[in-house]
This record gives sequence, structure tokens and C-alpha cells, in this order.
Amino acid sequence: MWSVIISHLPNWKVCAQAILSLVIAIGFYYLNKYMRSLVEKKNASAQKARKGQHLAAHTNLSDHYKDNLQAIKQAISSNSDVHFREFQIAELHARATLIFVDGMQNEELISKYVMKILMADVKQAASDRSHLFDPLELASYLQDEVLPVCEVYEAAELHGLNQSILMGFTALLVEGMPHALLIGSLGMTTRAINEPSSEALLRGPRIGFTEVLSENTSMLRRQGYSEELEINMYEVGTRIKRKLVIAYMKDIVNPDLLQEVRDRIGKINMDFIAESGYVEQLIEDDYLSPFQQSQNTERPDRVISGLLEGRIAILLDGTPFALIVPVTFSMLLQSPEDYYDRWLPGTLLRMLRFFAAFLALMAPALYISFISFHPGLIPTELAVTIIETRQGVPFPSLIEVMILEISIEILREAGIRLPKPIGPAMGIVGGLIIGEAAVQAGIVSPFLVIVVAVTAISSFSIPVYSAGITLRILRFGGMLCAAVLGMFGTILFILIICGHLSKLKSFGVPYVTPISPFRLNDWKDLFLRAPLPFMNKRPDMMKTQDKKRR
Amino acid sequence: MYRCKNLLTLLLLSSLVVTQGCWSSKEIEDLSVYAGLALDVGERPEVERNLEREGATYYKKNLLTATIQIVPIKSFERQEKSSEKQLLKYSNLRLTGDSVFEIMRQYSTRRERPVIGHHLKVIVVSTKLAQQNQMDQLMDFVLRDNDIRPSCRVFLSKGKAYDTFISNQPEEVPAFRINSMTQNRYRTNKVMKDVNLTQLDGLLHSQQSFLLQNIVSTKGEIEFSGAGIIKGETSKWIGDLNQENVESLSWIQGTGQGGVIKSYDWRNKNITYEIKSMHSKTTAKLQGDAISFHVAIESNGRLIENWDTKENPSELAYLEGAEKVFEERLTTMLDHLMRKMQSKYKVDVAGFGKVLSIKYPKKWKSVKDNWDEVFSQVPVTFEVKLTITDFGSSTE
Repeated sequence: MWSVIISHLPNWKVCAQAILSLVIAIGFYYLNKYMRSLVEKKNASAQKARKGQHLAAHTNLSDHYKDNLQAIKQAISSNSDVHFREFQIAELHARATLIFVDGMQNEELISKYVMKILMADVKQAASDRSHLFDPLELASYLQDEVLPVCEVYEAAELHGLNQSILMGFTALLVEGMPHALLIGSLGMTTRAINEPSSEALLRGPRIGFTEVLSENTSMLRRQGYSEELEINMYEVGTRIKRKLVIAYMKDIVNPDLLQEVRDRIGKINMDFIAESGYVEQLIEDDYLSPFQQSQNTERPDRVISGLLEGRIAILLDGTPFALIVPVTFSMLLQSPEDYYDRWLPGTLLRMLRFFAAFLALMAPALYISFISFHPGLIPTELAVTIIETRQGVPFPSLIEVMILEISIEILREAGIRLPKPIGPAMGIVGGLIIGEAAVQAGIVSPFLVIVVAVTAISSFSIPVYSAGITLRILRFGGMLCAAVLGMFGTILFILIICGHLSKLKSFGVPYVTPISPFRLNDWKDLFLRAPLPFMNKRPDMMKTQDKKRR
Repeated sequence: MYRCKNLLTLLLLSSLVVTQGCWSSKEIEDLSVYAGLALDVGERPEVERNLEREGATYYKKNLLTATIQIVPIKSFERQEKSSEKQLLKYSNLRLTGDSVFEIMRQYSTRRERPVIGHHLKVIVVSTKLAQQNQMDQLMDFVLRDNDIRPSCRVFLSKGKAYDTFISNQPEEVPAFRINSMTQNRYRTNKVMKDVNLTQLDGLLHSQQSFLLQNIVSTKGEIEFSGAGIIKGETSKWIGDLNQENVESLSWIQGTGQGGVIKSYDWRNKNITYEIKSMHSKTTAKLQGDAISFHVAIESNGRLIENWDTKENPSELAYLEGAEKVFEERLTTMLDHLMRKMQSKYKVDVAGFGKVLSIKYPKKWKSVKDNWDEVFSQVPVTFEVKLTITDFGSSTE
């Protein structure tokens, strides 16, 4: 009996191969786990450090005007742009100081509505209310009856006061008053509202976010009146604080998702958040994935339609890029124009984009596998032409493709940096002349120039810029796989990507969700964009509170 | 140390991928694509004789000479329009040997780029070789090979098969020309329906007699002319059908897509019928033990050429008369074919056997083994109905 069993056992070579392939798979698993643990450990240690950190001591302002002034001066007067303007309020017989940072205050407002009133107009009011020299009530008196400014706060705590001054508030210290008054007169110059340059559309609003958070949130509000739109403010950054806002529709958004977003934002631990890209990277699910897990956009209309699908927007002060979470794969290939146009052109363009994404990802890989591995799969006449044109090309197809792909990528990268007037000219010089010259020099075949050009053009047709970059990275992986194993390798590569995508999640929502897990209802808005009357439900995948659009 | 170990593991794992390189990659320009294969009786060309005199020989009986047509030939002058001289687009390479596969490998001793069969379009076998050797033996390699596509077409050549691979137009690849000429069936029914390797495989295994399009060649010009008959039992070539026979055959089978019937009217003036549609129905009859066939042919067409200036084609009477003339002509043509099939070669290549096997399977089983013999005694009757639907745009 044993001999029968043994005769059916594979020989040691097959066993070794089987064990090896098992070991490789396990190795990848542990490698992945190890890489992930790197990030988590770091996060944990950082949190510990923060717990130990002590907040600056609270010290309140005293009754003594001079002491207060001294304390403030000590803390911030080393900054050369902090100005102290002392003057006399004549009727109150009190000295007062305005403290502000140069360039951040609204000069006209301060001179007209604060200094002029305090120095001249306070007279009459003060004369008939002479009982009001009680220091505690002086502040409310000034606020309520004297200063015609809408943003006025009281500040009693020194540290906070200093911070506010540095943030652009103008502080008013008056002799005999135990508080300081903060006058909100942020007069920072801002950029005009422009059309978003990275997401230009033919049809649709031409408005784009700016660097000022309040303007951005007001743009969202201005999309239309709604009581459901909620905007919550957070502060992020341990050393330099910045305002961060999450926006959502109160009775649409899934509460679990909202809680998850809040938790992750609460965990952000960084001394300075420079751009929403920091937020994106700090709250994403999988930092090893080449695919982005939140969508960045400059378009308020894109944000608001995301909110209506039950997504959540994250806006950061100081950047025009808002984040939309969670993101699914199909969003990366959708453009707002799909919805603004009628459904037939919308569908056509969307299909075109899916095809273009495939080309941008696979075209060079397919070229390599056809040329180097499967000459029989090319139509005969084309094969003859390719052989004719490739004669004398000294490199194998992988090197040939790499040469041209990398030079195109360099050209593209350089195109961003080039000064505007010479940018297009250099693009033409680079694209046409380098390609033509490379063919003439016999380094690459003319057929490849077509392939690379089509690939480059296709990757520009992807509406989300960062998704285009993802495809550019993966393209090189595909080329390597194709060079090693031909069509087989290409297919393996696609399978790996599919496997990764189906495992990836963005805030608990599967990345390729209408496809896997399969949700037929959401297919209306995947490859084709159904006519609007049919799209009467919100996407199933978002698990919204309110499922119906009408 | 622990760190280093991790790194080492990573390096080793990555070496699994990196060291493979591009292991089975073969660049397309390092391969020779052959578009045509011609098989001739073993006859060494002069070059080969000279080489053998120098000692380049191996153990062989010189049974056949195989010619492959390689496209494109190697040239480093790329896209230079200044070079006025016309370059040949193809090169023919001939080798003599016994086994087709051995010859294929022997090419690697003569050319730097190995040949691949993916793009083989045309196989031409000379009738002389097909007469001496069995077709299924000659075709064994091409049917077995994984690279060669089943869509590859097979032809016979009246003269040397090698001659069909020569063209006097240097821009043209003869193998492609032969391949594309099979598409002209809609212009004339002298071009047979092409036989590809899949069909050939079936025909060879079913032991049926069948036809292959015949190519006649002279000085770089070729013509599709008639067909060669491969006898089912022996799988060898036994004779030819001429162009007219091939036309008649398409009438019997009703497979023609276009063509002409030319005849002479009662004043011996040339008139021509353009076939617009063609239908035929073959029915088998079994009376007792006697098999008979009846073929009903119907066709619509146009009077396309009329040299008889005395007649008015717009007159119905004339058209009816012309129909009669054409029907007579067609009947004669069919008679010629039947005589050739039943008396001269004693083969059934028109598919009568199939009709019988569908209608009377039991009878078919009993006669299947010597059907060609039985068929030569079977009476076949024809009923021809040609209709001239119009006479073109010219009238008196």
C-alpha cells in the first residue's frame, strides 16, 4: 500500500517548488505585516510623548495695566512685527494700548472705529455714565456701547491673548480693565477666486476653493440653502495650530463613518499640517497602497455632490484642496461633467476614460509582451511592419520602452516647472523632436513612439490628477512583469492589482465596491451614467441614513 | 544583527524575481516570419548541391524540397526614400530533406534568425509530390505544430510549387497575394472555397475525396486554375478539374457568390449572364437498392453583355430565348463535370455522399467504404432554372 502512495507522490523538485511558493507567499505576508507595524509603532510612541507634554501655565491678566503690558511685551515684543500703540482715552482718564501684528490688521477699521471713537467720541457717553468706572464693567461697556465693531472678544488669559495677537487679532488694553479686548479685524490679503487649474471643465461652475477656510466653507454654504449641512471645526497641529473643518449632511451621512472620521482626525499628531495632503496621509487606511484613499478636489460642486452621496469633506485652512472620504475606485475616473452633460455623452466619455485608464496602465506592458514573447498574436501585416521598423534597434524591447517612457516622464515633470511662456514650446521640442530623433538615431522604433504617445495622452485624460500618477507608477511595474513573463506576467500583474484593490478599504468602504462586493444598484453610476430620473437613490455602498434622493 | 537578517531575507526574496531576467523572451526582429511554405519533389537547388560538395550534408534521402518565404528580409536601410532601387520584400529559402520539421530546423544552419510559424498563411504542394506521397503524411507536421495557425490555407500547384512563390513585382509578397486571391470568390466562381488546415484535417481523416485549388504559374505570374483531386482512400493526387469544372461544381453545391456564364446565341453572337444569386438543392432518392440524385438549380442574374446588335434585350421574348441558351450552356457544363467525376476519375467531390448520409444513413453505412465506386454508377439528374431579372441600364 505504501508503495502505491509513494509512487503517486511528486518528486522532490516539485515538492521543493511547492514549498518555495508557499514560503514566498508567507514571506510577503510577514513583510507586509512588518511594514505596517512600523507606522503603528511610531504612532503609539508619539501619542505617549504627547501625553507627557504639559500645557503652558495659565496666567491671568492682573488689574494693573502696566504689569499686563509688561507681561505681554516680555512674551512677544521680541518679534519686530508686533506693534504697541499707546494712547490716552481722555474722558476716562485712562491709558490704553493697541497691540497688533503688522500687516495682519485692518488699518482702516482700527483707526476709524477703535481709535477715533475711543479718543474722541467716547466723551458724551462717558459723561452721563460716570458711575461706570467700575473696572469690571468697563469691558462690557466698551463692547456693548462704544465700539462699533462686530468681532470683539474678551480675553483674560495671558497665553491665549498672546496667541490671538499673533494670529492677527488686535488687542486693546485699557488702564483699569482686568481684561483685554480682542478686535477681530483680520485684514490679510487673499487670492481672488479662480477657476481650479487642475480640474478644468468645459461645462460647470468655474469656481474653485481658495486658501482661506472661511471662504471655502462659505462657498459650500452658498451652493444652496440647507439646514442639514453641518460644518465642524477642529484644530490640528501640535506646534502650529491650524483650523480643519469636516463637512457633512446631517441626516444623510452614516453615523459610524462620521465617528470614524472624527476619531482619525483626533489621532492626527504632527507639529504642523502644511497641506491637506498631510491630513490625507495621516488618516489613510493603507500607506503601502499605490491608490489614494481620499479624493482631493478644488471644486466646491464636487464636494457638495460628494456630501449628498453621504460622503464627508475635510477642509483645511491654508490650502485650496479639500478631501472627500471615503473614496471608491470609480470616483477616480468620474468627472462632474458626466452629470452636467446629458447621459449619453456622459456615458460615452466615461467609457472612454475607463479605456484610457486601461491604456495608460497596460499599453507599454502589452507592447513588450507582444514584441518579445508573442509575435504570433500580432496580425501578420503589422508584424511585418514592426520587424521592418525594429531592425537595427540595438536594445531589447524593455530597455527601449524604458528609454522613451522615462524621457516622457521627465519631460512631463519638467513641464510643470518650466516658466509659462516657454512651457508649450519646450513640450513640443521635447515630445516631437526627441521622439523623432530617437527614431532617426535608431534607438527606438517608430511604432513604440506611437505606443508611448498614446499612453501619455491617455494618462492625461484621467480627471483626477493623483489617480493619473498612480497609474504612471503601476505602469512601470506592469512593464517589468511583462518583460519577465510576457503576457502571462502581464495577466499576473493585473491579478495582483485586482487582488489588492478588492482588499483595499477606504474608511471601511471597499475600494472597488459596486464591482466587489457586488451592488447592482450602484452600477447605474459606474461604467455608464444612467439618466437622472433613474438615479433616484443614493449609492448603496455609503449605507446612508436617507436612501432616497427624492 | 536582527535588522541585517531581515534585510538579507528581503534581498534573497527579491533575487528570485530579478535573476529570472527575461528568460523566454525573443525579440520579434530576431526571428524570421515565414508566410508561405511550398513543398516540391526532392530536387536540390544548385546552391545546395555546391554546399553538399563542400561536405555540408547529413543522413537523408532527399524526398522533398521545402521552400519557405520569409518576410521581410533583413535590411538596414530603413525608410530611406532616396534609395530608388526596388528591394525585394521577401526571400525564398529552399532546402531538401526528408522530414518537414527537420528541414525547418535545418534553416537555422543557413540563416541567423530562426523561423517561426505563427504567420504561415499559405501552403502550396506540387501535384507531382502529392501524386508520389500521401497528403496526410506531407501535412502531418503542419497539422501537429502548435505555432502554425489552423487558418493557414492549402493549395496545389500544377508545376513546381516553388514557382508560385516568385513574383515579378518586387513590392509584392507572393504568399500574401495567393492568400488574398481567395477572397475573390464573389467575383468569379472559378475561385474555389478555400481549404484551411482545420478542414483539411477533417477531410484527411474522413477518407473522403476532396479538391484543392490549383495554382498555375509562369515567370512570376500565377493563376488559380481548376482544382486537383485528392483521392480519399489513397490520399494521393489523381487528377485535375479544369476551370469550367470548378464553376460547375459551385453550381451543384450552390455555393457560388458571383460569376458569369458566357454562351453564344442562335446567331453565334457572344452573350453573357452575370450571376446575382445561386441556389441549389440536391435530393437523394432510394428506390429499392438503387440510389439516384436530383439537383435543382435556380439562379437570378442579369444580361450583362450582348454582342448581338440585332436583338433588343428589353424584349421579353429575347430574354426568354437568352435564358434558354444559358440553361443549355450550364447543362453542358454540368455534364462535363459529371462525366469527369463519374467516368474519368470515379470520385465524388461534390458532396453527394453527404446528402445521402443525411437522408438514408443506413444505406450510407453500407456503401460508405467504396462510395467513390458506387457513385460512378449513380444516375444524377439536373433541373436548371435561370432567370434574367434585368438587362442593365442600356436599352434601345
